[in-house]
Amino acid sequence: MTTDTSVQSPRVMWATRVIGLLALVGTGLTVWLGLWVTPPDKVQGDLVRLVYIHPGVAWVALYLAFGLAAACSLLYLWPRTRSLFWDRLAAAAVEVGVVFNVATLISGSVWGKPTWGVWWAWDARLTSTAVLLVLFLGYLALRRVPAEPEVRAKRSAFAALFAAVDVPIVHFSVLWWKTLHQGATVLNPNLSPTIHGSMAWTLLLGFVALTLAFVWMLLVRYRIGALEDFLGSGELDMALLERQSEGAGPTPEPLGTADDARAPVKASR
Amino acid sequence: MRYVIAGYVVVLTLLFLYGVQLVWRRRRLNRLVAQVEDSRSGDLAEAGPA
Repeated sequence: MTTDTSVQSPRVMWATRVIGLLALVGTGLTVWLGLWVTPPDKVQGDLVRLVYIHPGVAWVALYLAFGLAAACSLLYLWPRTRSLFWDRLAAAAVEVGVVFNVATLISGSVWGKPTWGVWWAWDARLTSTAVLLVLFLGYLALRRVPAEPEVRAKRSAFAALFAAVDVPIVHFSVLWWKTLHQGATVLNPNLSPTIHGSMAWTLLLGFVALTLAFVWMLLVRYRIGALEDFLGSGELDMALLERQSEGAGPTPEPLGTADDARAPVKASR
Repeated sequence: MRYVIAGYVVVLTLLFLYGVQLVWRRRRLNRLVAQVEDSRSGDLAEAGPA
């Protein structure tokens, strides 16, 4: 097995850097527009400024990250498209998605305290989002159970599909149940945004910037997965044994013994 | 306004720290793979042509 060259090519590495830079600039612009340029809301006052990041991180977590993980899992389970590429991409998407899911819950909680008077309520939207986090944390835990790559990929794919059932529940929770959480601002049933002018543009910029940040994180995390698979494939053990048996000097410090070198690989899955 | 600032700080710090951690992990693994490949190519050169 070799490392996946599709993520090592200079073009992909250059694209990753550009996307990262654009994400940084976009996020910086969003913060500037969101905190200093856009006007306060008639009802919520300055608290409305949280709208420029909270729905953006939720969009990335729910629809991009977990949606992508579900799609990749389906592609892995489909015999014609079965490839460990999809499994690795799903794992990368879930890890990044979990971080964005935590950001969603925290920013929502910070918004909830001055608006509802509480940090947390067992509201349908909040609870289903928290359940989503627990489900995908379970997915990541499942990936750390030792198994052959194909076995791990198969059971992870089923777990991702099971967890992804909660995504539409989170989305429609504000319609299906009477909740504290407001309805959708942009993706509402009429598809007519209830936000306009500079506020709408800043919201859109926030979505774009956070989407770019997600793509950058996904590419870097995928590369990490490819490198971990390479090091965990047994070639590392063989290379180290060959080196030691031929007396080619002390083993390089970061590698240590074969077991030491494998430990962080297993721990990071 | 302090809740707004707190929300921005927490979210952006979380994403930034995760990003830094990703870069650190990638660099570490890149170094590790380069060391393994260097040692293997060195061994092959010592063995000479088959």
